Amino acid sequence: MSTPAPKPAASGASLPLSPSTAFEPGGAGAAIRQSNLWKDAWYRYIRNRAALVAGAVFVAVLLYCIIWPIVSPYDPNDVEFADARQGPSLAHPLGTDNFGRDLLTRTALGGRISIGIGFAATFVILAIGVAYGSISGLAGGHLDNGMMRFLDALYGLPYLPFAIITLAILGEATFWAMVIALSIATWFTTARIVRGQIITLKQNDYVRAAGTLGARWHRVLLRHLLPNTLGVLVIAVFLELPGVILGEAFLSFIGLGIGPPDASWGSMAQEGYETYRVFPLLIIIPSVAIATLILCANFIADGLRDALDPRTRET
Amino acid sequence: MALLSVRDLRTHFFTRAGVVRAVDGVSFDVEERRVLGIVGESGCGKTVTALSIMGLIPKPPARIVSGEVQFGGRDLTKLSERELEDVRGSQIAMIFQDPMTSLNPTLTIGTQITETIRRHFDVSKEEARKRAVGLLEEVQIPRAATRLDDYPHRLSGGQRQRVMIAIALSCEPELLIADEPTTALDVTIQAQILDLLEELREAHGTAMILITHDMGVVAETADDVIVMYAGQVVEQASALDLFDNPEHPYTEALLGALPQLEGDGIRQRRLTAIPGRPPDLLDPPEACRFAARCKYAGGDACTTHMPELRELRPGHFVRSEHPASERTRRGETVVV
Amino acid sequence: MTGFILRRLLWTIPVILLVILFTFVLMRQIEGNPFRRSERSVPESIQQNLERKYGLDRPWYVQYAKVVKGVFTFDLGPSLVLRNRDVNDIVRTHFPPSLELGALAMTFALVFGIPLGMLSALKANTIFDYSAMFISNVGFAVPSFLVSTLLIYFFALQWGEWTGLPTSGWDSWESKVLPTIALGLGPMAYFARLTRGTMLETLQQDYIRTARAKGLRWRRVVVVHTLRNSLIPVVTAAGPILGFLITGSFIVEQIFAIPGIGAYYVTAVTARDYSVVMGLTVLLALVVIIANLVVDILYGVLDPRTRDARA
Repeated sequence: MSTPAPKPAASGASLPLSPSTAFEPGGAGAAIRQSNLWKDAWYRYIRNRAALVAGAVFVAVLLYCIIWPIVSPYDPNDVEFADARQGPSLAHPLGTDNFGRDLLTRTALGGRISIGIGFAATFVILAIGVAYGSISGLAGGHLDNGMMRFLDALYGLPYLPFAIITLAILGEATFWAMVIALSIATWFTTARIVRGQIITLKQNDYVRAAGTLGARWHRVLLRHLLPNTLGVLVIAVFLELPGVILGEAFLSFIGLGIGPPDASWGSMAQEGYETYRVFPLLIIIPSVAIATLILCANFIADGLRDALDPRTRET
Repeated sequence: MALLSVRDLRTHFFTRAGVVRAVDGVSFDVEERRVLGIVGESGCGKTVTALSIMGLIPKPPARIVSGEVQFGGRDLTKLSERELEDVRGSQIAMIFQDPMTSLNPTLTIGTQITETIRRHFDVSKEEARKRAVGLLEEVQIPRAATRLDDYPHRLSGGQRQRVMIAIALSCEPELLIADEPTTALDVTIQAQILDLLEELREAHGTAMILITHDMGVVAETADDVIVMYAGQVVEQASALDLFDNPEHPYTEALLGALPQLEGDGIRQRRLTAIPGRPPDLLDPPEACRFAARCKYAGGDACTTHMPELRELRPGHFVRSEHPASERTRRGETVVV
Repeated sequence: MTGFILRRLLWTIPVILLVILFTFVLMRQIEGNPFRRSERSVPESIQQNLERKYGLDRPWYVQYAKVVKGVFTFDLGPSLVLRNRDVNDIVRTHFPPSLELGALAMTFALVFGIPLGMLSALKANTIFDYSAMFISNVGFAVPSFLVSTLLIYFFALQWGEWTGLPTSGWDSWESKVLPTIALGLGPMAYFARLTRGTMLETLQQDYIRTARAKGLRWRRVVVVHTLRNSLIPVVTAAGPILGFLITGSFIVEQIFAIPGIGAYYVTAVTARDYSVVMGLTVLLALVVIIANLVVDILYGVLDPRTRDARA
């Protein structure tokens, strides 16, 4: 005689302790495991090889730029004409420049400035963008409309020309002058994205619930809306970074950037350009550095986007 | 001679996590002018079966591993892509579940109908357009001629599904595969669409495979039914026989889960749920795949080997060691 | 549809006014004197004369009005630094090369980028795809000054004899080849990546499955159904890129010695040549605005859903 009780003997089948929901198209299921968004995203990110490598390289470059000048045996401004224009060697892994200065050290220093300006400008862009976008998105109605129209108009401002004018206003091209010049005409897209995100979130029930419970608008903004926008913002950082770094390189290349003795990758490239016919290495190295950083930032942005929103992943 | 004959079809998905055996040994026939209902829960493989017939499974991860699909004297699984393109649309047509996304939003309705006609028939643009108007009228879309130049976003869900039907029937196919055609629609529209399908089928003499998870739809529309579970056919019978005398425990459970408006003891009955979940098709058990959720499973038989699909009565097949007619009231299994 | 176009055109006017205002205000913030040629200061009387001559002694709103009027009558006034030259004059001689370079680079980017992206999508995850995307990523990341320099280095210096491509000037069609590639490589890579992405997404859509189920030939499915829908985001991106190409071509112009407005702009700003800067900035802004306008219109043509929404 067979017993009527079910036996969970087959592999691959799950059996919860109690009868679950009625038969439904989604398949009777156990409770969904609550998982942390960030932890999940982290795991997804790591599985993306390109993003992982890019992230590692990015961090490596950052560390190099920060640490190497401190431990380097060379003084970056040490002029030594006898050693000028050497190719890579054990003594000088990246070679030397027109003045005999060690390139490995100068590139690291240049990186400090280029990446520094890059991040600073990006954060300024984000700050303005978030402020503008949140106000517009939260306010809604006529204010939102007006602000967006104004933004549309601002799109007409050509990026580089205004950067040039701004630099001229601020006089000499100090670090912060560059930061301002590079952020002033390019925060519009971020503002748009933030506004879009806020509007979408505003519709969410839990936000409305907070509102009906009497929460004030700034509390709603800080506690509910911004944390959810965080993901978008992190991605935005790595999307804006390449543009800013390239912008800085361009400005420096045409001579408007950081002046000597400080050097950024852009101004190093300009020095290299003057002698590229005889010594191309000098322009190649900073350009490759810039390209590497931009490539990494792109892959990181892609990886983050996939990690934070798995629906966009290609199967 | 059946119109369509599927024999031991196996379609597997080769993923990084392993091989998903989505369709694992499915066989059935579709006769001319008749309706075969394929019923089962999400993930049981009914859509993959339909797509395998049409050759529309995504080729990189998926592949028809074995089996045959006999249609018009040929095995569709052995045809080249070009040959399949000739069969699709003109001899076998398919309509899909979500009318909102199944039409191209940047092309007019007219274009989407006429391109099908002109692909399979050598007619002029004007002739194709005329036929398109006729088709729209057949599916009862008012002011058909002007509608031809509309874009899909101007139509409601029900109307779009009608357009899909019009497109599917435009080349007079012998077989129409309808994959959950009413699932995404309002209940009232569902009835209209099903009626429409019935009318057109009769008028054009088209056979149909109707895929659904809704037993009510099957009861109304199908002549023959197969019940699928975890990539396999677990019961196969005429519709009448299935509903009067369900044999497989799964089928019984499906029918038992239906809300009923009348009958004895109606107030005391709760909706009976089927506990558990279908097995993971990455690593299906060697045994009966329903065993874990089956009320009657027991002993070694159910849990160690896969039951065969056997003919319990003429025309009624079951894949179970405990079909209803072999059970006594005390739940014992006695072979009649 | 025409209503849509007209409204967008009208909208450009306030934008231009805004640009003029911004530029005007910003320029006035820059310290400095357009009339100072060297380190020595200009004698007071001469300074005042010059200011009066160019109207710089009038109150700011009068100057502003004059500028606005000038812009809308296409009379941008004389250059403050270069005697005997009108801003209009400068624009006439130097703008066309920049415009042409930008247009050529854009064409290059589209003609090579879109098919590359399309093929990559159709052959996703094959060697072709991986190599094409690798090249795209590199092409996108490498700054244009390096590309220009490398192009010159190889094509002109090393292989100069048998390619015969000049590296400066903008007269013969040969001279336009290298700068076009230099400027267009980045955007080409961008379009390739973008097209690949959108095509992959489009290919997943339900309506592509429907198209195949109808028995349409694969080529038709790709071209008529997939490509059209994939191009929409590409078109959207193309506008700002065109604007950027024309307004940001300074470096390529400098390296290839192309007589465009790029170099002019920088020197004008440095020399505080207000009228030239104003004229050029407004011009560049106009280019950006028109590029965006064209994109908006094209978007309406390609995606019928937006036409109704905007109507």
